[in-house]
Amino acid sequence: MEEFLAEHQLYIVLGIVLLIWGGIVLYLLRLDKKLAELEKLIKKG
Amino acid sequence: MTYVKYGSIILITLVIVAGIGIPMSLEPAGFFEFPLIPGLEDKARNIFFHVPTAWTSVLAFLVGTFFGIRYLRTKNIEDDYKSVSAAGLGLLFCILATVTGALWAKFNWGTFWNWDPRQTSIFILLLIYGAYFALRSAIESDEKRASLSAVFVMPRMTAGLHPGARDDPSGKGPLMQSGMIAGNMRVFFYLSLLGFTLLFIWLLNLRIRAARLEHEHSRQQH
Repeated sequence: MEEFLAEHQLYIVLGIVLLIWGGIVLYLLRLDKKLAELEKLIKKG
Repeated sequence: MTYVKYGSIILITLVIVAGIGIPMSLEPAGFFEFPLIPGLEDKARNIFFHVPTAWTSVLAFLVGTFFGIRYLRTKNIEDDYKSVSAAGLGLLFCILATVTGALWAKFNWGTFWNWDPRQTSIFILLLIYGAYFALRSAIESDEKRASLSAVFVMPRMTAGLHPGARDDPSGKGPLMQSGMIAGNMRVFFYLSLLGFTLLFIWLLNLRIRAARLEHEHSRQQH
């Protein structure tokens, strides 16, 4: 794995882009959940 | 906000495509070839992704500090949740910058972590804001929940492994001025900074709206 990455450096860039994208997606999913809970609360009054 | 939203999506998509897709060559010819820097090679492309996350983190903490100070003066709860929303996003991008930096470090410096000055300062930053959120969640009352804010600088004070640090034998001054970065790379780098900034504004807007709803709802309850 390490050797492969050292030889194919473009995949390190891919890994970094995926990490950033994954972090943003996780954040959005959490926000989505929070909004859904709020909607439920507001519906109940 | 429409421009911010679609602007960020388009810019970041463009930067991903260009940042990964544009070939590298030792003697770049024309706009659509990046220079190949020995020792950095394809990893130089990380500049388009890793650096803007750190930039966004700093920006977010500054915005958080601004609204934190404003809250202390106005005691307007709106300022408080603007501050905490920005700080939360700052923490997100700070973690992303740390993790992506560690991955890059592994293949440029040999290990994931080696206490480079900037790694040390980002670690302290994570601790500060980790403490900030631990403290906040421990205090129930809205008013007592004072806004803690920290002003910080991540200067190029000390020699370190980051290129462009003071006393860096390879480069004089900041990386962006050292001529190592070609004009066309700089264009995409700035577009990336802009894209990430717009993304931050969009996320902050979403986050503030959620906080406002939450606050209004809890007020109706009492």
